[in-house]
Amino acid sequence: MRMQLRNLRQNKNFKYLLSLFIILILLGVPSYMWTKSNVSTLAGRYNSPMSPVIMIPGSSASANRFDDLVKTINRQYGEHHSLLKMTVHTNDSITYTGSIRPNDTRPFIVVGFENNKDGYANIKKQAAWFNSAFNKLKSRYRFNNFNAFGHSNGGLIWTYFLEHYFDDSTITVNHMLTVGTPYNFEEKNTSNRTQMLNDLVKDRNKIPTSLTYYSVAGTQLYTDDGIVPLGSVDAGKYIYEGHIKRYTLITLTGDKAQHSDMIANTQFIDIFHQYIVGNGINNSGNSRTSKKVPDPQP
Amino acid sequence: MAAFFFEGYNFLEYHLKRIAGVFMKVQFNNKLEERLVRGTLKVQKLLIYRIIQRTLLLIFPFALFGSFIKIIQTIVLGKEGFLTDVFPTFNNDYIYRLIENIANALYNLSLGWVSVIAIFGAAKYTAKYYHRDDQLAGITAISSLLIMDYAYSKVQPFSFHPNILGMRGLLFAIVSGMIIGWIFKKFSRPAPNLEKGQPTTGILERTFISLKPIIISLIIAIIFSTLINVTYYSEAPGNFINALSTEYTSSNNWTQLGKTLIFSIYTLIMSFFGWSGTYSALGMEKMDVLSTINLNYALQKHTAWNAPNPFTSSTLYHAFATFGGTGSILGLIIAILIVSKDKDFQTVARWAMIPSVFNISSGVITGIPVLFNVIFLIPFLLAPLANMLMAAIAITLHLMPPSVYPVPVGTPGPLIAFIGTNGSWQALGFSILAIIISVYIYIPFVKMAAKVKLLDNPGIEEGEV
Repeated sequence: MRMQLRNLRQNKNFKYLLSLFIILILLGVPSYMWTKSNVSTLAGRYNSPMSPVIMIPGSSASANRFDDLVKTINRQYGEHHSLLKMTVHTNDSITYTGSIRPNDTRPFIVVGFENNKDGYANIKKQAAWFNSAFNKLKSRYRFNNFNAFGHSNGGLIWTYFLEHYFDDSTITVNHMLTVGTPYNFEEKNTSNRTQMLNDLVKDRNKIPTSLTYYSVAGTQLYTDDGIVPLGSVDAGKYIYEGHIKRYTLITLTGDKAQHSDMIANTQFIDIFHQYIVGNGINNSGNSRTSKKVPDPQP
Repeated sequence: MAAFFFEGYNFLEYHLKRIAGVFMKVQFNNKLEERLVRGTLKVQKLLIYRIIQRTLLLIFPFALFGSFIKIIQTIVLGKEGFLTDVFPTFNNDYIYRLIENIANALYNLSLGWVSVIAIFGAAKYTAKYYHRDDQLAGITAISSLLIMDYAYSKVQPFSFHPNILGMRGLLFAIVSGMIIGWIFKKFSRPAPNLEKGQPTTGILERTFISLKPIIISLIIAIIFSTLINVTYYSEAPGNFINALSTEYTSSNNWTQLGKTLIFSIYTLIMSFFGWSGTYSALGMEKMDVLSTINLNYALQKHTAWNAPNPFTSSTLYHAFATFGGTGSILGLIIAILIVSKDKDFQTVARWAMIPSVFNISSGVITGIPVLFNVIFLIPFLLAPLANMLMAAIAITLHLMPPSVYPVPVGTPGPLIAFIGTNGSWQALGFSILAIIISVYIYIPFVKMAAKVKLLDNPGIEEGEV
């Protein structure tokens, strides 16, 4: 044994082996300390390159609502996003259609509801159903950040979900985009606040402050998109403005600015792709900075 | 086509006679070693094999340089990188972006496009063997690969699918390169100035001799590119296997162990041929459901001991079988540094040592080369499997906890189990044991490779290839 050791020391590669050993020790010490401090505060979901786009359709629409949108995005931008559709039933059971391709870092996930009726009471229920679907997704796919999209009442479900169920210590919502979300239902005048708007404004502190939110409103003839008044979409500012990192209201007019058509509107698709699907470069930068941005409201 | 592959045999007898003298000098320890060395020599005589070896040596400097850049990219700049997590980062965003851009550019045009270099080499050497215009064959091959890899995107007018250009497209590139070389043989006559060895009067004449194969190659490439979505099909088998490995779960520990071993073998074999397998050596991005269950268990109980799924890819394969990159390459490097007297091997090992610490093995696998190398296939499979079995036994006997905690990308191989178990010293001990095992497995094969090299060195230019 000693003989071998002496031979080894005479080996002219001994210094390389030694330096290899030293490098490993040098890297080992800080990583040991890091592990000890990391595991105690471990965020659980780590290391996952997946950042899905989670979408909620509006009332009376099923999980198939965004099939065309996803198809258009894939075709127009030459991308290959996979699509998973979930329908949550009234008894909390979930049926799945479609699947997420294993290497897909930006899949689309649509969560629809068996009971997709309108009304504040139902939105509360839908938010609870969405929460159970979201928890399933979280434990199954282990993503640590995602983008949110909601059409019409889908945006209300998102807001209610963010205020009542979402826990931002393990998971980040980067960008949210909603289209024609009626924060004040059919009410044109924002001084007449509905019960729901009051409730949503009251609980706004629970919405993660790091969120960037784009709200799209459509108008035909200056006042509404045919169903939702501009004032009702605009009322979202009482919830988000001044609380989250960025709040932007975009008004769409012209061809296909009608409430239900908007998700097929060319301008909308550009906005959707830019802010929600993103092109890797923008996104990696964003998620990096979002990690470091301190809370504006301590 | 078959004739093409075996034409190298013509030289077999001649070579065997020529090297008979050298054979006298080489001593074999046992029958098995002798048989293996002789078998390798036979395989090395195959034209296809010689072309592959030469091509790999051609891409080695780029792969080595790229692997150093890759360290910076994944470990220092990466979002979840090892050093980013362990050490504090720079806070200046502008400098960070600048470094990131430089690193991206350097990486994409070194290790990121080795397949382009490989197809050039493969076509050039094939054409040269048949005394055709090798320069033009190589350049045609580059164009063909880029055509096949062209991304028909409306967003960016001139772009390529990056996956096929890197290490993953190596096999595809080499095979395509040889086919293009063969097209040059079929459809053109020998280039005149190559035959006579003097500057020709008509460059134009040379060009026209090769015009037919150039056009044919490019047309075949465009047909291929239009009909088949290369990126999709190159990933399809992997995706299928991935889906299997992540979706199908079993509660029985022993079927789990079997499953992990099978997917590891698949990964190792695919990596050996320059493709990619289920498990990536850099990071564990494709964590399966079982690992998630383990992590949740550990976070609840504040311990990794008795985690419900002891034999997952992260507890066995990632923690114990990827030291230095796929195939326990760190063991090979240490083995070379200890026993090899071959100058080339030593140079490669010294240079590739640092990237290999961070599990980036592209330098060694193209420089030795390990890829497609008959001798190294055995330890390339055996060393990781032995380490995994050792780890499985140690976990079963409760000698160490399974690694369940997430590990940053690019964590040095021997530290993965240590960090993954939240600093269990037993796990570190077994990691060191795993290095020793893999070094011992690699040592006899390093010696054999040196003997093969002494008898017949494919790296030396001999004219015919």
